Amino acid sequence: MDKSHYGSRNPSELPFESPFLRRCILAAYWALVLVALPAWWHTTSIERLPLPMSQVMAQTKREIEFPLNIRLSSAVDGVDADAVAHELERSLRSRLSSQLFVLPTGLNDVSVSSEPGSYWVKLTDGVQESVVEENVLQHRWDVRDSTASSTLANRLAALLSPYSEHAHAEQHEHVVSKYASRYHIAFTLLNEDAASGKSALSWQIREALQRIMRPVFKRLGPLHNFTIESQVQFHAPLAFTPTAVDVNGTEVYGLTPEDLTVFVNSAEWTLSSGVTNDPILHFLLFVPSAFRRPLHILDSAGTLTRSHSFILPQWGGVVIYNPPPETQGNFHILSSQLDSILPIFRHQLLSLLGVPRLPSGVKSVSGSLSTWQIDALLRRRAHENAREAQQTLGSIVKLVEQIENMPVGKDVKRDVEDALSALDQAFEAALISPKLAFDHSSRALTLTSRAFFNPGMLALLYFPPEHRLAVYTPLFASATVPLIVAVIREFAAWRKQRKTAASSGIADITSVGYCPSSATFDHNDVITKVGLNQR
Amino acid sequence: MIFSWRILPATLLLYVLGTLASPTSETFQEELTLRPLRDGKVISRFSFTTLREGAVPRNPELLEAKDIPQYYTLFPLGLGQVLREYAASELHLSLNSGKWDYEGWGYPGEQEVGTGAQLWAWISDGGSATVDERWKGLRNALAGLFCASLGSLDDQRTTSPKLAFVPVGDLPAWKLPHQLRHATLPSENVCTENLTPFLKLLPCKGISGIAGLLNPHRLFDADWHGMSVHVSWREGRGIEVRLAFQAVFDPVRLSIDKKRDWSLQSIFDKSIRKACPVASSSRIVVELPKNEAYAIDPKPSIVQEGFAVYDTSHVEKDLDISLRWPLESVFSYPLDPPLQPLSPLSVQRILKGTSQSRGQLSVSIRNTLPSEVQAVYLETMPWHVQFYLHTLKILVNGHARDDPLSDIAYTPPVPHGRPALLESVLRLPPNSTTQLDMDVMKSFLRYTEHPPDAQRGWDLPPAVLVPLVNSTSFVASGASTLLGNDMSRRPRIYTRTLLVDLATPDFSMPYNVIIMSCTLIALTFGMVFNLMTRRFVVVKLRETPGRNEVPMEKTE
Repeated sequence: MDKSHYGSRNPSELPFESPFLRRCILAAYWALVLVALPAWWHTTSIERLPLPMSQVMAQTKREIEFPLNIRLSSAVDGVDADAVAHELERSLRSRLSSQLFVLPTGLNDVSVSSEPGSYWVKLTDGVQESVVEENVLQHRWDVRDSTASSTLANRLAALLSPYSEHAHAEQHEHVVSKYASRYHIAFTLLNEDAASGKSALSWQIREALQRIMRPVFKRLGPLHNFTIESQVQFHAPLAFTPTAVDVNGTEVYGLTPEDLTVFVNSAEWTLSSGVTNDPILHFLLFVPSAFRRPLHILDSAGTLTRSHSFILPQWGGVVIYNPPPETQGNFHILSSQLDSILPIFRHQLLSLLGVPRLPSGVKSVSGSLSTWQIDALLRRRAHENAREAQQTLGSIVKLVEQIENMPVGKDVKRDVEDALSALDQAFEAALISPKLAFDHSSRALTLTSRAFFNPGMLALLYFPPEHRLAVYTPLFASATVPLIVAVIREFAAWRKQRKTAASSGIADITSVGYCPSSATFDHNDVITKVGLNQR
Repeated sequence: MIFSWRILPATLLLYVLGTLASPTSETFQEELTLRPLRDGKVISRFSFTTLREGAVPRNPELLEAKDIPQYYTLFPLGLGQVLREYAASELHLSLNSGKWDYEGWGYPGEQEVGTGAQLWAWISDGGSATVDERWKGLRNALAGLFCASLGSLDDQRTTSPKLAFVPVGDLPAWKLPHQLRHATLPSENVCTENLTPFLKLLPCKGISGIAGLLNPHRLFDADWHGMSVHVSWREGRGIEVRLAFQAVFDPVRLSIDKKRDWSLQSIFDKSIRKACPVASSSRIVVELPKNEAYAIDPKPSIVQEGFAVYDTSHVEKDLDISLRWPLESVFSYPLDPPLQPLSPLSVQRILKGTSQSRGQLSVSIRNTLPSEVQAVYLETMPWHVQFYLHTLKILVNGHARDDPLSDIAYTPPVPHGRPALLESVLRLPPNSTTQLDMDVMKSFLRYTEHPPDAQRGWDLPPAVLVPLVNSTSFVASGASTLLGNDMSRRPRIYTRTLLVDLATPDFSMPYNVIIMSCTLIALTFGMVFNLMTRRFVVVKLRETPGRNEVPMEKTE
């Protein structure tokens, strides 16, 4: 070819103008895009660590089970402890659990009483009523009574599993507050209207609490920590007007069952301190206004009841205090006067915390809580905590499965794994001691709720991939169009080139693929021109 | 109580002894002061004091220990728990709205009158939680307690001045020293939602006693209103909480016939119906006009040194105090002769300059006293405005001088982190006007740092001037032992807040930037890509008759 005419060469002969090189460049671009895509996807995607799904699923099916060891000894003449024990074991196993053992033992076997997790039933004729003390039950055994065996079985069943035996199990469940390792206990003396006179200006709660409530707090120490606060309010108006009732010619005031549900006027009464996230149990001593005394609680038929207190499920308890009518002026509630009120609070507290009552016919020797009750509560709480933890774990797994944008970080994964191992430990410890099992189960519960409420799990919930793409569209759209067009054009050229090669077989096709057939060339008369590569 | 000591374990006993003295008795006092002003307005100041005798602030070193039971009677439980939780020894919170006119109204009974929210606390070091951690917890807890945006008093607003905020009470002598944390939020508004929790902290709430007069409809209609909470401890006495509400009413505005006569009913729209049964002292003090004919009704319990005192510990029938000027048919503002300012010191602070990058801060302090006054001047500035300290010029009565300023302490601001603190002692010559001028730079904020309604600008906190004299000389009219417990303390004068206009961006900017940069990248990419894959071909120019130039190009 003549290149001297304009001093330039035919561009199609330039080494970088070869179709092969061009295709290589194009391929390199595409390779880069394809390599970068996963990297881009990875850097903009959220961290979702795998959770141990199968373990969680397996764990949720497990049930915590406590073996019960009962020792039986008899001080009554003519009673075969072995036979009674066998009979008892058979009857209780069918009612409670297959993991129940009743072993006859000697009367003065000292090692039994110190053995953890076991109970001792002493049959005797020296007591009038059954008496519990620590883990020992002294049971009156009458040889002549034919139902003696079933009575004992009933007592034991009620002591060991008080919740299933409870008459109003459903209602009871509803009252008991959710488990927390720390409770705030707030005692409040509320005067409906101290300015009306004859109101309680202070109370000696400190001394009374020390005497009456402290033993209970101490006994429940293994389960809960308690923070105690008390306050007095001088203006605590009710949100409604109590009903006036005429009783034997004198006017009294009454609270209907509907009134009780709206009794606490949380808008006006500042009851909680607000510095804590722990659940608060409130105990209110309400002194009605001087104009609305005495204030009684009515039943649904509208007649007076003898009760002056009521429990608000999972919230606390209220006691209404009507000062004696002869009271003149404002007064102070003395510690001795509180002796009749605080036992009601104590009773309400025990109900709210789910401490079982002793079955009828059984008395506690010192009036304090026995090991039977505390253990029953421990077993119940361990059971609840384990179930709750299992459910929460199940929910976490389900939630993570359902919401694909939910991040799962290292701490969530670790909490879930730790909770699983804590649950395992709880199941193992249940065989040894209810206290240990309870400790592990409450740890499992704390871990699962921490994992469930992990703030990191919400981080990118509202940043879907559509947004990610939308932000980059101005870049992607304008960059990909030339890339795609170049590929299509190159492909078309390649097909055309193949076709021409097949039909003519002419060797000199250097420019065939690049020139339209209509164009005729004179190689002596060329210019090179660079134009935009658009048709 | 002896009984309970015995059954406590020894460690707990030590702890109890260390933090809480024997059973505490609590007393509650309430007082309302009403002061008619010469411009026809009336200052009302409510003060509710609860003293928890024998109580001691909590030592932060014992914060981890088991919490001992807390028994409160009159002391507000909500506030008590916050103080215990964060072991604050002394605390002062004020929420004000409006600009206090020192010259027209005199020195206020409640001295913390800076616009917006101000919180300062003395917190002891010690324990595992640092002072700053507890300060953060404290302001968040108070934000929750008073429904105010105190949570935003963060590190960008917290300073520790050395001279201006001395403790009001005593500080317990623990092993580690106490530290001051002070923060202001001038843009905070005060309203009913702050008053409701405030009233709930009072033993008689807003139902009986003097607090029954606190009617939000009238208080927040007042020309100036503000509430404050002060907690302090005095050795041998106990922890004292003082809740105060101060408002400046304009009876002339409220009256139909343009008279300045007022009564409790006319300004609060309420009267005192019932006494608070637990108040150990309850009284209303009315300052009587001087050199004027007036009538006050009903007859006060005591009249003393120009003050009428009403004892409200027992109220038989509705008490509605009224003060009338019977000889005056219409109140006219006294214009002639020129009014003497009621405050001997007055401060004016302005920010000059129109640009969004530079400005000049100009403070003018006038001393009308015949003697020299030393005063601490405190300027806490968010980092949005930065001082050029070298440009500081001082003019006394128009003459440049260097000597009035001494003991300059300056903490430079850290952008996005810490505010600036300028504290120094000024010597104000007698009967003089001292002017301080300083250039300032306005910062350029990040996109996310702008508040909602960014175009409004930023409120700058008030500067504080603390004359190093006691307040007796500052209360203009009849300083009396009857009035207030503030007399022994140093007064504190707040300047007005400033509004600074910072450069605000167009808030659609990020999207514009994304699109702009994407377009540029796409253009560059397109060019490079085209050059690399371009095909160059030879095109013949055909000589056609009549058309001698046919530019031919061939591209594909």
